[in-house]
Amino acid sequence: MNVRRIAVLVGKEIREFRANPSVIIPVLIVVVLCTILPFVVVVVVPRATGQSIADDRSMQQVVAAATGHLPALAALDAQTAAEAFMFQQFLMLFLMAPIVGAVSLAAYAVVGEKQGRTLEPLLTTPVSTVELLVAKAVAAFLPAVAIEAAGTVVYLALIAALGSPGVLATLLTMRTVLLLGILGPFASLAALQAAIAVSSRVNDARSAQQIAVLLVLPLAGMLVGQLSGLFYISTWMLVAASGAMTAVWVVLVLLSVALFERETILTRWR
Amino acid sequence: MLIVESVTRRFGERIAVEDLSFEVKRGEVFGLLGPNGAGKTTTLRMLGGLIPPSSGRVVVNGRPFTRATGSALRARIGFLTETPGLWDHLTVEDNLIVYARLFGLAQPAAAVERVLRLFELLDRRADRVVLLSKGMKQKLALARALVHDPEVVLLDEPTANLDPQTSRTVRDLLQHLRSLGRAIVVSTHNLDEAERMADRVGLVSRRLIAIGEPSALRREMFGCRLRVRLSGKPAAGGLIEAALRAGARDVRVEADGLSMIVDAPDTGAPAVIRALVTAGGEIREVFDEEPALEAVYLKLLAGSAS
Repeated sequence: MNVRRIAVLVGKEIREFRANPSVIIPVLIVVVLCTILPFVVVVVVPRATGQSIADDRSMQQVVAAATGHLPALAALDAQTAAEAFMFQQFLMLFLMAPIVGAVSLAAYAVVGEKQGRTLEPLLTTPVSTVELLVAKAVAAFLPAVAIEAAGTVVYLALIAALGSPGVLATLLTMRTVLLLGILGPFASLAALQAAIAVSSRVNDARSAQQIAVLLVLPLAGMLVGQLSGLFYISTWMLVAASGAMTAVWVVLVLLSVALFERETILTRWR
Repeated sequence: MLIVESVTRRFGERIAVEDLSFEVKRGEVFGLLGPNGAGKTTTLRMLGGLIPPSSGRVVVNGRPFTRATGSALRARIGFLTETPGLWDHLTVEDNLIVYARLFGLAQPAAAVERVLRLFELLDRRADRVVLLSKGMKQKLALARALVHDPEVVLLDEPTANLDPQTSRTVRDLLQHLRSLGRAIVVSTHNLDEAERMADRVGLVSRRLIAIGEPSALRREMFGCRLRVRLSGKPAAGGLIEAALRAGARDVRVEADGLSMIVDAPDTGAPAVIRALVTAGGEIREVFDEEPALEAVYLKLLAGSAS
């Protein structure tokens, strides 16, 4: 695998995004929604209704249960603890944001080259299938993660500005770093690689997108499970999940190479 | 430089190319001629290492295409595909620079500058491809195929979509590449183009039906038809007899002279001309009347089909 050639292809994809910025809009919309939604739930709605989320009985129960995993919550007053818990849970949205947004980029990656008839000239170069497919996934991943990172900074800044004092400090933990800095990117990369594999087997971007978006379901399940108090993802679980996602990505790279039928694409695509 | 040895390609039950063998030397333009669906594009794809043959092998500069050598050999081949396949949202220059880098050139910008100049695209370098005409796109695709200065050049219908002036530029370019010692394979179903561009042609219709220089193929199929223009009204009877005695056949009386087939023109034509002069013919002009390559093509295809 030639890293230089992958970098050239990633550069080309990024140039295409820059030349046609509308393709980035889905990622942007999802990240903006993920950034705003928690503040609507935790800040805007309680202020509008005059009811604190800390007064809600089921919230009190969930927060009380969570203090077992998040001891820092026990030291906070009820309002701050409820806010800290909610903002912590909504961090999970930032795991899904780059995937939901960038899956359309990845789904279109190979189909787009097929439709534009640009794949055959590309295959006349020394580029190997694995280089091509990794480059496609990385190219969809980079803008998505960059936007996610910017969204996270805005999210934390808004918590500092709008949340109760002490909430931000509760969030700045190793768990958050692992969640957003390691698990998030590797989960995105794995999901996007799967979308690339789908993209190389279907004939139109819509099919690829519809199949690829199903990859978000496990992460959505994790979010719902955490919010409902069904389970809590500990730091060690995050470390294990990050390792697993890395392995899944490698397996998906191999799988997408196996699924990429160079001859079929060249000879039957019309 | 490029050797094709008994190459066959199947797609399932269908045989697209069968037992194809030929060789292209340095400094030679080889025309792959055939009707639509004859297997020209499949052949080029095998020559370019895009798809492997079902059997047989393709050898580039002494090295056969294998899984291990494919990437390195593709770096020595320039391939103009059937459709230009350009990235519409990128500029002319960006389209080229990506390929220059993928081919691992040490100075990609200089290489891009060279082909932009060669194809007179310098003033369009910053334009997005989507703004180019079909002909300009084809020129850009050609520039892309040559950006890494390949030893072997494969061109699938290179003058398709081009106006006569740009077609001429492409033919001139091929002559230039030939003078640089490149081995060039041009696929086309345009007989005029094949004749103007290629040193040798291979007529394919799934298999190789005939191979050789266009003039040799003509001679092989039709012999050499000699036209003799005469002053005044030809005394047909005497002259026909003289020509037949001197070895000509199929002698026909034309409006201003005679035409006849001479099987060995280098020795036969002087003998026939001497005989005609001796028989009283007043000869104004003698020339070879070569049948169009199209006639050769159609005759060979008809023979192949039967």
